[in-house]
Amino acid sequence: MFEIKPIFNALLRSKAGALMLLIQVAITVAIVSNAAFIIQDRIEYLQQDTGYPEDEVFSFTVFTYSDDIDLIQKFEENETMLRNLPGVINAVAASEVPLSGSGSASSFQLDADPTDSKSVRAAYSGGDENFLDTLGVSVSEGRNFNPDEVIVSQDLSKIPTVIIVSRAFLEEMFPEGNGLGNTVYMGPAPLKIVGVVDKMMGPWLKDRAADNYIIFPFLQPNNFQKFIVRANAGEREAIMRQIEDIMLEDYNKRVITNVRGMDEAKANYNASDILMMRMLVVLIVVLVLVTALGIFGLTVFNISKRTKQIGTRRALGARKSAIIRYFLVENSIICTAGLVIGSIAALYLGKALLQEYSLPELNNWYIVATALFVLVISLLSVVMPANKAANISPSVATRSI
Amino acid sequence: MFVHYLDLAWRSLKRTPLVSGLMVLAIAVGIGITMTSLSVYHMMSMDPIPEKSDTLFAVQLNTMDEGNQWWTDDDLPQQITYKDAMALYKADIPAKKVPMMRTGFTVHMNNDQVKPFLEGTRVTGRDFFSMFNVSFKYGDTWTQNQEDTIAPVVVISEQLNEKLFGGENSVGKEIYLDDNSYQIVGVLNNWDIHTKYYDLTNGAFNNVEAVYMPITQIPALELPAWGNTNGWKYEMIDSYQDRLNSETFWLQFWSQLDSPDEKIAYENFLTAYLTEQGGLGRYTREGVSFGLRDVNGWLEYNNVVSEDNRILVGLSFLFLIVCLANILGLLLGKFLRRAPEVGVRRALGASKRDVFKQHLVEVSLLGLFGGVIGIGIAQLGLWGVRESYSYYSALATMDLSMLFAAPVIAISACILAGMYPAWLVCKTQPAIYLKTQ
Amino acid sequence: MLTMTNISKVYQTEKVQTHALRDFNLQVNEGEFIAVTGPSGSGKTTFLNIAGMLENFTGGQYMLDDVDIGKLNDNARADLRNQKIGFIFQGFNLIPDLNLYENVEVPLRYRGIKAAERKRRIEDCLEKVGLGSRAKHLPQQLSGGQQQRVAIARALAGQPRFLLADEPTGNLDSLMARQVMELLEQINKEGATIVMVTHDPELARRAPRNIQVVDGKLADFTLYQSREAVLDTANDNKMKSAVEA
Repeated sequence: MFEIKPIFNALLRSKAGALMLLIQVAITVAIVSNAAFIIQDRIEYLQQDTGYPEDEVFSFTVFTYSDDIDLIQKFEENETMLRNLPGVINAVAASEVPLSGSGSASSFQLDADPTDSKSVRAAYSGGDENFLDTLGVSVSEGRNFNPDEVIVSQDLSKIPTVIIVSRAFLEEMFPEGNGLGNTVYMGPAPLKIVGVVDKMMGPWLKDRAADNYIIFPFLQPNNFQKFIVRANAGEREAIMRQIEDIMLEDYNKRVITNVRGMDEAKANYNASDILMMRMLVVLIVVLVLVTALGIFGLTVFNISKRTKQIGTRRALGARKSAIIRYFLVENSIICTAGLVIGSIAALYLGKALLQEYSLPELNNWYIVATALFVLVISLLSVVMPANKAANISPSVATRSI
Repeated sequence: MFVHYLDLAWRSLKRTPLVSGLMVLAIAVGIGITMTSLSVYHMMSMDPIPEKSDTLFAVQLNTMDEGNQWWTDDDLPQQITYKDAMALYKADIPAKKVPMMRTGFTVHMNNDQVKPFLEGTRVTGRDFFSMFNVSFKYGDTWTQNQEDTIAPVVVISEQLNEKLFGGENSVGKEIYLDDNSYQIVGVLNNWDIHTKYYDLTNGAFNNVEAVYMPITQIPALELPAWGNTNGWKYEMIDSYQDRLNSETFWLQFWSQLDSPDEKIAYENFLTAYLTEQGGLGRYTREGVSFGLRDVNGWLEYNNVVSEDNRILVGLSFLFLIVCLANILGLLLGKFLRRAPEVGVRRALGASKRDVFKQHLVEVSLLGLFGGVIGIGIAQLGLWGVRESYSYYSALATMDLSMLFAAPVIAISACILAGMYPAWLVCKTQPAIYLKTQ
Repeated sequence: MLTMTNISKVYQTEKVQTHALRDFNLQVNEGEFIAVTGPSGSGKTTFLNIAGMLENFTGGQYMLDDVDIGKLNDNARADLRNQKIGFIFQGFNLIPDLNLYENVEVPLRYRGIKAAERKRRIEDCLEKVGLGSRAKHLPQQLSGGQQQRVAIARALAGQPRFLLADEPTGNLDSLMARQVMELLEQINKEGATIVMVTHDPELARRAPRNIQVVDGKLADFTLYQSREAVLDTANDNKMKSAVEA
């Protein structure tokens, strides 16, 4: 029915051409499945929930170069000024900005004595009681800072005693669930956990403890000061554009830089991942195209080589469908072999990437899906020329060339 | 004969425009994709200072207690403490060495014409410029005396000089950094390095600094580090003096060692220094451990070529193989179809070698076309990379060697792919094709 | 000039051994015009291919101008073929992409002759076969007889001393066949040695020496006519074709 044996024999006779097709299909499967998996992995990473309304928040840096003012007082005024801007929901001076790629981290211990104590790493930032609201997150258990707990000072010896932590940190430090109200230590300093935020990610999304974030009710106003502002999503861009002028108008011995939305800062931090993703997408698309064109070219060539044979078959009573089927079956035999080899190669490539680079383990469904996809593409690339072949007139057979 | 073969090849390509077009397209796309990732890889991994990269050494010291780990392969911190940096700087050997750190200032002219702006500033020793082969357009580096007396002097980049002084010789003029005025002693020539190898802590592909000032300004101005400050134990740091005395790592240190003997001498010196420091009770370690890596070793150690890029280069080459398999299959068909003609040529006195050469010239021509179009595709790809990631804008370009490599890779790849079909066609017995056509 | 002693040729396929030639002995002297006849499959073409060094032989000895062909490698054979032997095929075997001029040029290029000398010879040869004015035409623009004349011009361009023709008139009607035959006779007269395979007894009869291959062996050879007689007929025919034209 499918004439598999004669097709197979014909393939064996033109083995080099078939082998090339097989290699193409195999490598295509190996690359596409792995690349698709990497892409999916990056998409998941890029689309993960950070806990923040990224399209509402923006930040900027104030670099004050004169000593003639009291920074504590100035920043207090500026916070109030910013909060009063139309469209602004809240604003705060902060030591670090989440998702920005820049920040501080430390180990936090269960005991005051660091030796043998359980220790969990977390990024941290400081700000007053407006910090959480400005970032668009809220305490789900416990409470926010009271204004009287907030220390705004140049004096580093004044140390806060309470903190608000992300749930991820709390659960890592206190897996039994008794974290809220408990105390952790940063060096010798005891810090009581008064509130928990379910989701708030730290400054480095790629950190192994990206979800561990701790907020201190503490700010040391600095001549290199970061500000965070949350505005209505639609008005954010307009406010960002005016922010430099507004700030300089208030006081001009300073430079306003790095005015950027949280989403932009995040995209900037992840630019290399976005780039990798785009390049892989291009690679996959072009690769599949090239393979399809290769199959197309080879089929066209095979048909032109066998024009007379096809004519003869037609003259002897073969239906058009039989001709098309002949080429489809021929292609499927090669492709299936290529798919099998390609799937094995994909597994090995996945293993190699896993070993060599920090990639997760390849999900085998990607190989299956890719193999099916490549098979469909290859059959599609055959159908067109095969259809043309089926239209070869039987009279070709009787004409001598 | 070569020109004749070229002529034949051109006719052959014209005779089968579809198949030839497919082959050229396949090789062009393969080369385009490969060159895009390879160009970035090439720029990332290129030796930034080939004339002396093997004599400049990044110094690493392990001044942590035994058992402390670092995220580097050999547990050595990439930076060193302030006190070690200054001690090494004051040492007698080697002749040239510099500690350094990145900070920043608001630059202005104390007038209304120039709106104040931030500039990254490198605080370092006066030999920095001669060590890293940075040349001066005007003036020179600060003097030893100026460095020792913490004189308010700076060296600025050509770009900053252009911006503030319209490119004139500004040596002797003043600029304001924050609220203090500084005298310009030198203006650099454009320093175009794609990898900021001397300080990788802020990102390997950032721009070089626009302002340079003596290292002695660090304690004087209490300069903050625009870079990483890493500690390995809890230290109470309440003042800038605490920071200077602390065991935190925040400076880079480079030494120039011109010969293996100098290197050995320096290694001995570092061993002695660390043994002495350990003896002072600063830290508890058995034995000493330090690192001396030359420029290329330093780039490799710091994984300057990103993992993603390595994966991409690997995948691109696999992709190129697919394109080659594609071409090989098509060439096989094309060449074998021409076997009768080859039979005639053989009968008329062509040797196998003649036939082989003729076909290789043809595939080389394919490769050349593919390579040239491939450069176009690669430029498009690199443009996409620059658009997508401005941080790579200096890297995502093709230098001359890559422009040259593209057709060379394309042609060699095509010859590789064409070898088998060409061999097959020249090996066939000519007689069988001659009887009838 | 050509001596074949006990030449044999065996085609080996997976299951079958075919003896195309066995104990084949032949001596061809300078200036001869030999017609080779025989039933199809008898080994005529194999003989011709071996004579032209297009195929290797399995056993025996083949001397061409005192050179032992069996001891030459492929490149040396290609050179020798290029210098001494011209081929004319039944199917003409012109290269379709090349115009007449370029087709004739092919063997000259492989011989490494300088461009000016090539031009002179090509024009000469095309003139000789009466196609001098059509040098820029492509083969498919010509009739079969004209194509075969180009093929002859190509064979002559290298000034071979030895011309091998395999059914040179097989694809031509009788008039064209005669014209081609006359051309060959003229070339023979000018000094080239010709061996022509044919199944046309009339043409064979015009050759001074006939040999017959049967079952891979040289069966017998007969002199059908005297050389003079052939030349007479040739002259008659030339007159006739001139009148027809």
